[in-house]
Amino acid sequence: MNKPYSPGYAGTVTKYVFVESPDLTPADLAIRAYEISKGVMIKETCFGLQITGKETDVDPVIESLRKLDPVHIFIKDRGFPPGDPRRCRANLGGARPGYYSHEFEMSVIRNISSGLEHLPERDVSRVPSPPAPSSGTKLDAGTLKKIIESQEP
Amino acid sequence: MAKVFIYPSTSLILSDLVARFGHRPLSAALQIRERIQTPGLESPPLQITPEEPKKGLKYAAVEVPSGVRGRMSLYGPMIEDAEAAVIVNDADFAFGCMGCARTNELIKFLIRKRKIPVLELNYPKNEDEGQEFVAAIHEFLKSLGSGE
Amino acid sequence: MTRVRIAQLSCGPEYSGVQKEIEEAAASVDAEIFFPDIKLADIRKGFDEFGLDVRSPDLKLAIARARALVEGRVEADAVFIATCFRCAEAAIVRNELRRYIHENSLLPVVSYSFTERTTAGTLLTRMEALTTIARRRALLAREVQEGLTMGVDSGSSTTKAVVMQDNRIIGTGWLPTTGVLQSAHDVIELAVKEAGVKREDIEAVGTTGYGRFLVGENIGAQLIQEELTVNSKGAVYLADTQRGASTVIDIGGMDNKAITVQDGIPGTFTMGGICAGASGRFLEMTAKRLGVDITELGPLAMKGISKQVPMNSYCIVFGTQSLVNALAAGSLPEDVAAAACHSVAEQVFEQQLQEVDIKEPVIMVGGTSLIQGLVRAMSDLLQTEIVVPHHSQYIGAVGSALLASGFIKGD
Repeated sequence: MNKPYSPGYAGTVTKYVFVESPDLTPADLAIRAYEISKGVMIKETCFGLQITGKETDVDPVIESLRKLDPVHIFIKDRGFPPGDPRRCRANLGGARPGYYSHEFEMSVIRNISSGLEHLPERDVSRVPSPPAPSSGTKLDAGTLKKIIESQEP
Repeated sequence: MAKVFIYPSTSLILSDLVARFGHRPLSAALQIRERIQTPGLESPPLQITPEEPKKGLKYAAVEVPSGVRGRMSLYGPMIEDAEAAVIVNDADFAFGCMGCARTNELIKFLIRKRKIPVLELNYPKNEDEGQEFVAAIHEFLKSLGSGE
Repeated sequence: MTRVRIAQLSCGPEYSGVQKEIEEAAASVDAEIFFPDIKLADIRKGFDEFGLDVRSPDLKLAIARARALVEGRVEADAVFIATCFRCAEAAIVRNELRRYIHENSLLPVVSYSFTERTTAGTLLTRMEALTTIARRRALLAREVQEGLTMGVDSGSSTTKAVVMQDNRIIGTGWLPTTGVLQSAHDVIELAVKEAGVKREDIEAVGTTGYGRFLVGENIGAQLIQEELTVNSKGAVYLADTQRGASTVIDIGGMDNKAITVQDGIPGTFTMGGICAGASGRFLEMTAKRLGVDITELGPLAMKGISKQVPMNSYCIVFGTQSLVNALAAGSLPEDVAAAACHSVAEQVFEQQLQEVDIKEPVIMVGGTSLIQGLVRAMSDLLQTEIVVPHHSQYIGAVGSALLASGFIKGD
């Protein structure tokens, strides 16, 4: 049956604000957000916040929040407004698929924080060598020979 | 500010880094938001209607499963719009919008085919790799110009 | 009636625009769809331990969720597995998960491959069967017909009625379906007359088939139930194989059913209805072309050799054309009849029987089971003897009458 659909929250954006910090809890973040939240909706979650409102209102809030702990706060767009029944765990029975993706990325996020922390002091002439898909190159015979010879008998 | 397609396009890490370094991440959320906020016929949960797999025919033939074509209706326009891309190749646990391996193969192929600047890497497994990962993305985005 | 909770294991429906169709179909049989809640660690572990190394993350998620269901970490009444049509990776996962759940739990499972054109209507019968198995295990456990009951099967091609008393069939009625209600009333009259009983003395009535709701409401049936559970019940009852495993094949006028049954209760099943070339209609067309009655087609086919006639297509249009060409080129009518039977059997075998695990005995039911040539062709393909029970063409009506005894007042 085709029912008409009228969207809620039209013209708004929702951003996730994740915090994974030794110094700042999601609750601290929420308090700060409430202080500066003019005209935007703040929802606390276990990982941080969701902020909904007009893009022009949301952007200054998240930029200001980022400054609290720049290397430990991470932000991304969300398609749905907060608490939407179509994505809510209580209605789906289980987590929405995207939740697991966040869970996975949060498991490596401290490596990103470390990268952000060390970026300003990094020698700009040093060429980055990130973990790459093709990094599993084979050892050439000469090098292998050297390794063998360098071993204690 | 360049429009940078991110893969996985649901990635918090990539979305954050691209925006943090002054560019615009093209992520799945933007496409979902557009559908969630557009009036039409009800098609929960994502407001992807049976019309979307038909739109996906632009990117994949009719013999390709509907789930691939439906997903391509999200990604196709963003791939066309992208000025650069960052691809994390070992995204084995990106579900939902990135949940189909065949779609993901097609996305990466179409990106590579566009001949735009592309940075391909893997998730960092430790802090040292994290530092190289962030530095590489930073440098790549800087090379796109007019960023931060 | 409690709400049946159906766990969904899937890849793609949200992106094909059909998730709401799945949920609507479930809601219409008072069931709800849910997604088993697990953690990322469970996904990795469940997927690794299952050992099927697929690439698609959503299929990994489906595998891990299936494990949570089988191990009892998440409770459900039934399982619905849905993946995109034409996806090989997903088809492998769909089949293996169905088998895994069936072998390791009591959960009824149905699997389906959808396209963007799949509607709630298509899914309804499957969802209904799924919820019936979950909800009516006690009713389905019935092995003996009691009292005076009647079953009516309002099918797309034919309408059948059976009157049963004290575990015996005492009256039958069979007519082509013209008007759904009129045909039902006519077959009831035939069955009641043959039974020599009065309509008002019948203690309980059950209906099944396409017209089950319309007919059931019109004649005040106590039981209105889809044909998947009813037919499998009727099949094992008539074949006297109520205990243990069996497989029921019903090639119908509009759709085909293949059901694996364990102790009289359907476990997994498939239902196909896209192609007329895999239906009884194809055989009707062939009979017409050969100028014989459909009842003569079976014996004719038994005399023929299917390989003598080249068939280029399973299609009811092009396949029939091949048969006509063969006749024009001098092929014998019996070979043409045999080729038609082989064509239908082979298509059902290729498209449907691959989705269920064939367990012997294999029981063929429905009107087409009377076409011996078709039964032989299926038997050749499956390499097994096929059982065609007595009254097999009345299968739905018999199953309904049997199950209706559970509704006799005071029972």
